[in-house]
Amino acid sequence: MRMIVWGLLILMLLLIVALPTVMLVGFGMMPGLVAMIIDRTEERSATFCVGGLNFCGVFPYLMELWFGDHDLGQAMALLTDVFVLAVMYGGACMGWMLYLSLPPVIASFIQVMSERRLQQLRKTQRDILQEWGDEVITDADLGGDGLMPPEHGAASGMPAAAE
Amino acid sequence: MAEEPTDADEFDLPAPVRGGSVVLRERFLVNGDKPLPELDSPNAKAYMAEDRHDLSRNLFALVCTPGIPLRTKAIRQFKANPGPGLLELVEFESLFWPAIGQRTMVIIYERPMGGRVIEQVKANHTRITEYDIPRKVIQPIIDGLRHIHSLNLAHRAVRPDNIFFSDEDMQEIILGDCVTAPEGFDQPLMYEPLERALANPAGRGTGSIVDDMYALGASIVVLALGANPIERMKGEDLLFRRTNLGSYAAVCGNARIPLSLLEPLRGLLSDDPHDRWGLDEATNWLNGLKQTPKQKKPAKKGDTPFRFGGRDHTNVRTLAHAFNRQIPEAVRILKDETFHAWMKRSLSEGPLSETLKGFVDTANFHKDDFQGTDEYLIARCCAAMDPYGPIRYKGVSVYLDGFGPMLAMEVIRNGNVQVLTEIINREVYQFWAGDRANFLDSMEVTQMFAQLKAWLANNEPGYGLERCLYELNPGLSCQSPFIIEDGIIEIDQLLPALDRAANHSDSQAKPMDRHVAAFIAARFNEDIHPHLRALAASKESTNIIGMLSLLAFLQWKLKAEPVFGLTSWIGGLLGPAINAYHSRTTRRDLEKEIPKLVRRGSLPDMFDLIDDADKRREDQDGYADAVEEYRSCADEISDIEGSGNELQEKAEKTGQRTAATISIITTMIAVTIMFFSEIL
Repeated sequence: MRMIVWGLLILMLLLIVALPTVMLVGFGMMPGLVAMIIDRTEERSATFCVGGLNFCGVFPYLMELWFGDHDLGQAMALLTDVFVLAVMYGGACMGWMLYLSLPPVIASFIQVMSERRLQQLRKTQRDILQEWGDEVITDADLGGDGLMPPEHGAASGMPAAAE
Repeated sequence: MAEEPTDADEFDLPAPVRGGSVVLRERFLVNGDKPLPELDSPNAKAYMAEDRHDLSRNLFALVCTPGIPLRTKAIRQFKANPGPGLLELVEFESLFWPAIGQRTMVIIYERPMGGRVIEQVKANHTRITEYDIPRKVIQPIIDGLRHIHSLNLAHRAVRPDNIFFSDEDMQEIILGDCVTAPEGFDQPLMYEPLERALANPAGRGTGSIVDDMYALGASIVVLALGANPIERMKGEDLLFRRTNLGSYAAVCGNARIPLSLLEPLRGLLSDDPHDRWGLDEATNWLNGLKQTPKQKKPAKKGDTPFRFGGRDHTNVRTLAHAFNRQIPEAVRILKDETFHAWMKRSLSEGPLSETLKGFVDTANFHKDDFQGTDEYLIARCCAAMDPYGPIRYKGVSVYLDGFGPMLAMEVIRNGNVQVLTEIINREVYQFWAGDRANFLDSMEVTQMFAQLKAWLANNEPGYGLERCLYELNPGLSCQSPFIIEDGIIEIDQLLPALDRAANHSDSQAKPMDRHVAAFIAARFNEDIHPHLRALAASKESTNIIGMLSLLAFLQWKLKAEPVFGLTSWIGGLLGPAINAYHSRTTRRDLEKEIPKLVRRGSLPDMFDLIDDADKRREDQDGYADAVEEYRSCADEISDIEGSGNELQEKAEKTGQRTAATISIITTMIAVTIMFFSEIL
């Protein structure tokens, strides 16, 4: 509650002091705001992803406003320029695209890495069993259920003396 | 023509059915084709022998019957200390005897050239008059017995057919062999003192000079008369007569004993060991000193006989003997007032009667345990009724000092070992020893039997009945089926015997059976408890290593020759011990090394290879590391695989995080560039 009061207070102050900036940011960052509202995850990855690139699209016009005429007319001119809107919302769009396309790529990469690691670990286990015998499984207190490397055959587990 | 002699150690060839010769200690040739039946002992056959270093010596060899416990202590003592009046023991060795196809003890003696005294007398080749007896017979025998007594031994085989003329002129008399059977084992009842004659032959006990003096007395009777006056009387009849009349009266009977011999015979044939003549009394008599005449105490006889077991008994001693034969009937009698009335009125044995009643009451009180059994009750009663008699239990009669040979005989003949173990386990000996405290070191007996009981209670290898058997019988050969035919008596013969056994034994069987373990424990004077503990382990690998360590210790301590066969045998059994190593590489290395060690025949080397402490520690550490590594691999695999779509979700979240990060970084770079390009 306290945060909302403070937020409204600051917004009121900004409306008084920098109304054109507030207007540009408010309208320009709309996709980021939407992303923030719909992103319910704890990490807020979508918000950061969309919001970040959205801000990237808004910032050149914000600079133009700050370093040019900082008035409502200029702000309105920018907001009514289709190209400007396309740049600002295009940034947000790029953010969404990045957010939606990168995880599968990363996941595939991780999957491949994991498989590779699994193979390495199973090979290590197989080597251990070949050198030290199946009793390692019992002594490792693992129960041996499903943890035996699939390639490990009965012959390789036979005690050397009995072979 | 005699066969070529066989060397003692070259006997793996099939044995000929009979005959054959052997060489003992590379010096004495024993000719199996030339038996000397006139010199046979009851448990040993006599053969011609010659000394290769001195062919002029007249020798003969006694080849012992395998399985009969020998008097090894006496054999060593007689060889080391030859004395007067005794057959001279020249040499002995356990070796392969072709005629029986197995190993046995062969003892070389100086040959008595005049033969057996009694046979020469009967054949009228010589004559021994009553005047010859003191100087020609008694004197040399007394000298021989004195010598034996000085060695802390007893002869226990003094009888007419074991007395020889040492010279061809039949002038000098010597005592024959006494070491080829347990003490008193071969003695006819007539030549055993009454108290020992009542025991089973194998259980008559070590005895002492007192028993030899009795046997001398009985032998003098036969030699003086030229025949046995009670030859036709056998077994129970003789014992019954001796118990009732006293041995002197029973043996001499109506025979015409020369007057000059009456005094020594009364002294020597006394049934009371305390009254019996000893060496000093006999020597004094020989020197012409008159002895104080000893009043012969007649056996305590009842006015009226008591009928039991088909005989009329007039004293409790014969009854005790009969009770042990018919236990249920004896128990009935004991509970019958008529019997107690007879004891009180006819025998005036009121206190004994009360004692027996007390035993019956005690048995009734202990109805539910062994102390309430009829056998135990009768054993107690017999001990009280015959204070000088043997332990009587379940039909067995045995002296405590004859317990070992008795046990050996029962084990060898697959007899009733159970009764003997019960005597130990139920402490039947305790009240027996207590009743005889006046002539028996009951403390020593109790300690010995307590030790036997402890061994019996322990069922691990190296203990049990087998341990009792070998501890009580130093002259008994190892009864292990692997080496029983080798007749192993000494510990240093064991490894060579097992080495030979490797050639014909089942290679999957372990050479260390209960008999071998107990034999080593009894005969090897080193602390082998750790080895026995390992041997008793239920874990096969520990058990095998225990066996190897014990045999290796034996080979090392005894500085024994290489044992190639045994090493190979044990090498083939080391699978579980090798498998005790976790590392397969170590196992393979060990398996490669074993054939090399087999070729060296060294058990200590094999033990060092198998039970190397550093190697074992290294293996344990390596195994622990391997287990840890395996566990961590398994944990990581578990993490990676996770469960269900966890990995997918993880990957997506990682992708989202990455996208956000890329976005933020891109924004920061772009904003920074734009800002600076604007202001610069």
